[in-house]
Amino acid sequence: MDVLASNRRQFLKFLGSAAVIGSIAPTALAHAGGMGKPKATALTILHTNDVHSRLDPFPMDGSRNAGRGGVARRATIIRQIRHEQENVFLFDAGDIFQGTPYFNLYKGEPEILAMNQLGYDAGTIGNHDFDGGIDNMVTQFGKARFPLLIANYDFKNTVLDGRTTPYKVFAKDGIRLGVFGLGIKPEGLIPKDAYRETKYLDPIEIGNDVAARLRNDQKCDYVICLSHLGFKYDGPTVSDNVLAAQTRHIDGIIGGHTHTFLDAPVLVNNADGQPVWINQVGFAGINLGRIDLTFERGKASMAGQSVQVN
Amino acid sequence: MKKHFLLLALVGLAAACNPGYHLTNRTASRIGVDSVSAPADSGVARFLTPYRQGLDKTMNEVLTHTTGRIEKGQPDGPLNDLLTDALLQQATQRYGKPIDCSHLNYGGIRNNLPQGDITTGSIFEVMPFDNQLVVLTLTGTMLEQLLNHFANGNKLVVGGLRARLHDGKTQSVTFTNGRTLRPNETYTIVTSDYVADGGDNASFLKNPVRRETLNYLMRDALIDYFRQQGKSGQPINPTSDGRISLE
Repeated sequence: MDVLASNRRQFLKFLGSAAVIGSIAPTALAHAGGMGKPKATALTILHTNDVHSRLDPFPMDGSRNAGRGGVARRATIIRQIRHEQENVFLFDAGDIFQGTPYFNLYKGEPEILAMNQLGYDAGTIGNHDFDGGIDNMVTQFGKARFPLLIANYDFKNTVLDGRTTPYKVFAKDGIRLGVFGLGIKPEGLIPKDAYRETKYLDPIEIGNDVAARLRNDQKCDYVICLSHLGFKYDGPTVSDNVLAAQTRHIDGIIGGHTHTFLDAPVLVNNADGQPVWINQVGFAGINLGRIDLTFERGKASMAGQSVQVN
Repeated sequence: MKKHFLLLALVGLAAACNPGYHLTNRTASRIGVDSVSAPADSGVARFLTPYRQGLDKTMNEVLTHTTGRIEKGQPDGPLNDLLTDALLQQATQRYGKPIDCSHLNYGGIRNNLPQGDITTGSIFEVMPFDNQLVVLTLTGTMLEQLLNHFANGNKLVVGGLRARLHDGKTQSVTFTNGRTLRPNETYTIVTSDYVADGGDNASFLKNPVRRETLNYLMRDALIDYFRQQGKSGQPINPTSDGRISLE
């Protein structure tokens, strides 16, 4: 509840809108052709986390979430946004599985096939995605038409070896979007029989390495981490807040695990003092997160980085 | 036409010096998914239908009947007794040899059983977790520690033995199979992997004399038990046998 309250107060918003962007055009471009305002290009990022097999809306039983969620309704909303926007991405931050008898009966197949239908571009792996065992992950992830991104699980000695990838670069309208995944420590959380020889690697170290590679080698203009580490904890346990503060080159974190309902993204400055947006939208598909990014050609100017905290 | 020219010019520029892009603006919103925000997509709804029908069929299987609502309770609710007896019977069958007693953590019982039809769905509501049954071999001293740990707060849920609780301590334990609790003898107890792994602050269980996993989900054991009961034609009565009493 503390998280919720503090985030309401901490509503963050970047200054500037598409209308004033022309005034901070990089000089290199203005000189190049004398064409006036550069074209602003937008990406729309849609995201879910911890959907937990909630394919149908919650039953109308008078409980708090009665009637909310539902994958068929989410499909409609996503289709509408794709109709309105050109460059739409759809990501999930893990715990696709477990929570309704759908998972108990079908082991995750309808969850994955529904995500195919909705056109997910990538997801990461949550602790409950191990609940059917690692063999089941091979079976169900094999049905996915989107990659499972995970950079800090070493599956070398497991059947999942080669079935996941650390990151993926998406290019739309010339903009390069780098996306990678980070998972939570399995020990003490996931039965050993389920994760077997999966090796957990330090998410800060790996996050730093992968983000730097995406920025420098892959020339990504924006780097997103799909994280199942959890939003924030008391004590030193690594979380999205810790990850954001202790790394470089991550622009945005789409989080999960703690089922945190953020009203708006939370801003944390990274190791270079650059603002990282952390977002998480609860659980069970009750919400769909949406982040709209606008880009212009050329190097960043300070004007584009100003931030207002209300 | 003008638009096309601009695009080409930009592509040319990108090839020439690849200046990349920079972020100039970002905004966020949270979209609630409910009947007001959007109707169901008919394609996705159609895709789900056979899965839901299969689910309904599985979850609606009537396993047995009850003559009244069967509720959990402290120190000895009828559901406590029913579930631990069911687990002891099913685990013994699977284990292939006698097990002295069974245990459930009180918080792990997530719902009560309704009056009338007991369906597979009813059992999923009682036991939604995929907990595995584990047989622990414990010394009498360790078993007494377990009993006392869960007796604290009167949350001792067991089968195969009777006990009196005094000030959160277990007194005068008697086994249904006639054994006596002695510190240096060993006993077998079936519980969940959650508890055996030290859940519910039972970390002292992490070093048992022996630990054997039955590869049998607690919920599956309960479903098997209630289905078997249904075949007998006798409905289940909501009674407790007073195995746990307070002094």
